[in-house]
Amino acid sequence: MTDMVTRIDAEAALVAVCQQVSRLSGAGPVPSRMRIQMGEVVVELEWPASGPAEPSRPVAALPGAAAEAAVEERAGWTQVRAPTVGTFYRSPEPGAPPFVRVGDRVQAGQQVGILEAMKLMNAIVATSAGRVTEILVQDGMPVEYDQPLIALAGDGTGQEPA
Amino acid sequence: MTISSVLVANRGEIALRVVRTCREMGIRTVVAHSTADRDSAGVWHADSSVQIGPPAAKRSYLNVAAVVSAALQSGVDAVHPGYGFLSEDADFAEACESNGLVFIGPPAKVLIDLADKARARQVAAAAGLPVLPGGMSTSPDANAAKELAAEIGYPVIIKAVAGGGGRGMTVVREPEDFLTAYARTRATAQAVFGDPGVYIERYLDVARHIEVQVLADRYGNAVHLGARDCSVQRSRQKLLEEAPPPGLPADVAERMAQQAVEAARHMGYVGAGTFEFLVDEENRFHFMEINCRIQVEHPVTEAIVGMDLVREQLLVASGEPLTVTQDGVLQRGAAIECRINAEDPARGFLPTPGTIDEFAAPAGPFTRVDSHCHPHMRVTPYYDSLLAKVIVWAPDRAQAIARMDRALREAVVRSDSVHTTIEFLQDVLAHPLFLEARHTTTLVDAMLAPPPTHTAGGPS
Repeated sequence: MTDMVTRIDAEAALVAVCQQVSRLSGAGPVPSRMRIQMGEVVVELEWPASGPAEPSRPVAALPGAAAEAAVEERAGWTQVRAPTVGTFYRSPEPGAPPFVRVGDRVQAGQQVGILEAMKLMNAIVATSAGRVTEILVQDGMPVEYDQPLIALAGDGTGQEPA
Repeated sequence: MTISSVLVANRGEIALRVVRTCREMGIRTVVAHSTADRDSAGVWHADSSVQIGPPAAKRSYLNVAAVVSAALQSGVDAVHPGYGFLSEDADFAEACESNGLVFIGPPAKVLIDLADKARARQVAAAAGLPVLPGGMSTSPDANAAKELAAEIGYPVIIKAVAGGGGRGMTVVREPEDFLTAYARTRATAQAVFGDPGVYIERYLDVARHIEVQVLADRYGNAVHLGARDCSVQRSRQKLLEEAPPPGLPADVAERMAQQAVEAARHMGYVGAGTFEFLVDEENRFHFMEINCRIQVEHPVTEAIVGMDLVREQLLVASGEPLTVTQDGVLQRGAAIECRINAEDPARGFLPTPGTIDEFAAPAGPFTRVDSHCHPHMRVTPYYDSLLAKVIVWAPDRAQAIARMDRALREAVVRSDSVHTTIEFLQDVLAHPLFLEARHTTTLVDAMLAPPPTHTAGGPS
């Protein structure tokens, strides 16, 4: 379980973001420009003003960053991030249905998970409204502060988490 | 238990310092860091890292739940708290212990005893250490406190019981200033430390700050590793430290060290600790406080005794007996440490955040640099301003001073916004009082004081 906190997982997080991006690209117009950086992990996407264009390959990722990825707001995507370091749970209790599933619509402020730190259960709430597009971390896995947990497709009112 | 993995719950140069010794001992390291330090030397050199919170220390380096969670999910055996942050926090030590983690430091019960400075003073007195006249006064009744001050005799110093790092202290020279100072210190103590409790002690105007490094194991063995002189301070923050204390008679140094070792045994101290004293003009020493952690200036001692104190901490925490007896501790030569801080001495040592464009550390014979700095590093405003510690060793003090001056000339910290203490430290090295080892804790203030004006007929 300690592997989760290594730098290798920064790359895993980036891979997850890349998968999201490719999925997103498949759903709509293809981005005309894509920039992925691993230092202060940045993912930038640009769509052409009109008409699809050839997708460009992501630039090589730089190793050594913490597990964090940011999607530009203009892509209409947000992420629910870990409010502290701890263990991520998708359900209120073992065996219970998860707070949210892929495809669910969530409101800003809605609880979407639990983060346990030293036996204290902290509610994880969506910071903006949107539709759940992917659960980025498995149930019961350790996460770092600010690690993306759940990807949301914004509904136009979505805002980047603070 | 043998420690095979350590979470380093700190940042900056000390995180790297701990990681280095762990690497040498084959111990796996995990550095806990805030978002501001995700790209830092400690993180680069560790086996892995965990991001524990945002830049604000309260939510990262001071967040007990976050640090303990990070340790548990990393599967480490022990936690090294470094200095500052949670290093002397009894609650944190207890949280580690109750979660099956070895806290690298004294037992929580010792931390509780010594965390309250007024109580530490009583414990020290009970252990036979000489303390300055003074006493407990947590009462908000300022008039009762004033009576106590009159008994002690002016000047007095009012200190926050929960204070530390040279903050929460006020010197009062005249009885008519007492009530205001008392109320103000209590208010500051409440605001900064969350505890308005203060105590009063006789204040020594002219004194040297001398401290004894102690090492103790779990089996009642304790040794001292000599003393350090840390009299070069600005507003009670150390700037330069040296060992052995120059000009201190050998019998006085020996008595201080012996009494510190006895006191450490008496109070059940375990690990590396520092007993701080004030030494007056007649070479009488008075107990000030105990620092229950590795200290910034520990390399000075390492240089003269040839031991790695972090290694000793780790061995003691593993439950091993001390590797040395007192007879086996040999002190050789003289060592000096200078702290290169991102501060502007011309503006009252104001911290100067910004980006360092160029950084080059000194090197050369018997020259050690402990630093997390690198070119293009951002000095953030969130944490302390220490950039680098330069430590030199030489067979005698004069050669050590010359070596340090040479080393500081080699140091390069180029930036548009970041100022450093380098030039000021060179001025200290060249100061006649310092060269003759006649300086006290007033040296830096005297250097900063505007030169006396003799021009009666100057422009008005």
